[in-house]
Amino acid sequence: MNASAISLPHGHDGHSHSHDDGHHDGHGHHGPVLQYQPGLPLSRGKLIMWLFLSTEIMFFAALLGSYVVLRFGAPVWPKPHHVHLSEPIGAFNTFVLICSSVTIVLALESARANKAGQAKLWMLLTLLLGTLFLGVKGYEYQAKFSHGIFPQSPRSRIYEKPDLYYGSAVRARLGDPVIIDKLKELDDTPADKLTAEQVSARARLQQIRKMVASPEQQAFDLAVVADQVMPLPTEGPGGSHAGDGGGHGGHASGLNDIFPWLKLPAVIPGGNMWASTYFLLTGFHAIHVLVGLIVFTILLGYKLGPKDAGKIENAGLYWHFVDLVWIFLFPLLYLF
Amino acid sequence: MSDHDIHAAHAHGPITRVGDIPAHDDHDHAGHAHESGHDQGHGGIGKYLLVFLALCGLTTMSFLTYSSVWPWRDQPHVGWAFMMAVSCTKAMLVVLFFMHVFWEANWKYVLTIPAAMMAIFLALMLVPDVGMRNRMVSQERALHMARTSDVRLMEQAAEAKALAELAEPAAH
Repeated sequence: MNASAISLPHGHDGHSHSHDDGHHDGHGHHGPVLQYQPGLPLSRGKLIMWLFLSTEIMFFAALLGSYVVLRFGAPVWPKPHHVHLSEPIGAFNTFVLICSSVTIVLALESARANKAGQAKLWMLLTLLLGTLFLGVKGYEYQAKFSHGIFPQSPRSRIYEKPDLYYGSAVRARLGDPVIIDKLKELDDTPADKLTAEQVSARARLQQIRKMVASPEQQAFDLAVVADQVMPLPTEGPGGSHAGDGGGHGGHASGLNDIFPWLKLPAVIPGGNMWASTYFLLTGFHAIHVLVGLIVFTILLGYKLGPKDAGKIENAGLYWHFVDLVWIFLFPLLYLF
Repeated sequence: MSDHDIHAAHAHGPITRVGDIPAHDDHDHAGHAHESGHDQGHGGIGKYLLVFLALCGLTTMSFLTYSSVWPWRDQPHVGWAFMMAVSCTKAMLVVLFFMHVFWEANWKYVLTIPAAMMAIFLALMLVPDVGMRNRMVSQERALHMARTSDVRLMEQAAEAKALAELAEPAAH
């Protein structure tokens, strides 16, 4: 509630002159004079929105806090390139969200200035930018899924280290009847029907098939297998990231990339915890974006004149908060 | 959030922001949905665009740590501290100007400071149980968790492959 009844002693309220001369404006009794006074100088909707946002601050603080604590407490954490994160895409998404924050502010200003048409246009633009953000996010998720990075097994094909468990997982995958057929097909394909890259990859695949089946297998052999399946991109000593976008430039990309049906287990040290935190944080953020988009769609049904400015302001407050969370998520996930 | 409430907020000048001129002309606003009078002479599209440009500039700055121009590549902590400073600046800009907190009355402290303190304590509470969970681990867990030695093993495998590829053309 925005207004609370406050009893004021005689002579202290704005109508004191009428009390001083003994009359009580026809009240006829000597009870306290009640007057409405707002509890906080803001509208009810905005108060509720801010209360909600203060709970949201704690919600995301818990998520971000656990991420930071998990990440810095972990003995090994994957580098952004190990888990196929692309910094330019993340920076682009940051830019998209900042733009959408500006457009919703402009929608509010237009509505206050009684320019309903303009307000609608800005609102529509905000909706489109939010959708673009989710689209890019979906594309990024797809890049993770295609590399077998899921938050949980059985879908996740990420192993923490090239140990015996990893070796047996690779053997199990190679022993899958579907894969056996595919491998036979690949072995029987004449070399001139394959690209040079595929021929070289086929030779390497045959080599690792022998390696995982060998009884005198060494830990280093399994590291070689893991490196062949999905190499961990390295940063050049000069800090050059050129060509790192899709793994190593050209010939050095993993067998999983060259033969997408292969879907062999891969090794990313620390990758499982990374996947859990990444999908949890970005997933909750994406849900918040989605809710914002629903709110904008509903608001587009209004006239968006000065009378709706309060609604736009509240939706905007929520949207800026979503932007705020991403401002912290982007460097923490993509650049740390 | 009816007009009445908003108008009621206006009618009581003394509760608005400290230093605010008491709104004597609030009857002029009767038909408008202006709230708390914060948008009078404060907002302005120019100011928002300025904040937008600052946000873009700051995003570029944090992106700088990723580029090859960044001089402290071998000391990641420098980059982390820098990025957090940039993020906090960006967050302050968004909260103060886009969320209008800069122009709000003192209620903003009531809602934001306790929430912020709770947020900080929440994160700190996680440190002993979660952050230090790997200080003492069982032998079995140590056996199965990834360690820096595994990363080194992977790097050695990659190096061995690179050497083999260098040798390959020579053999032909």
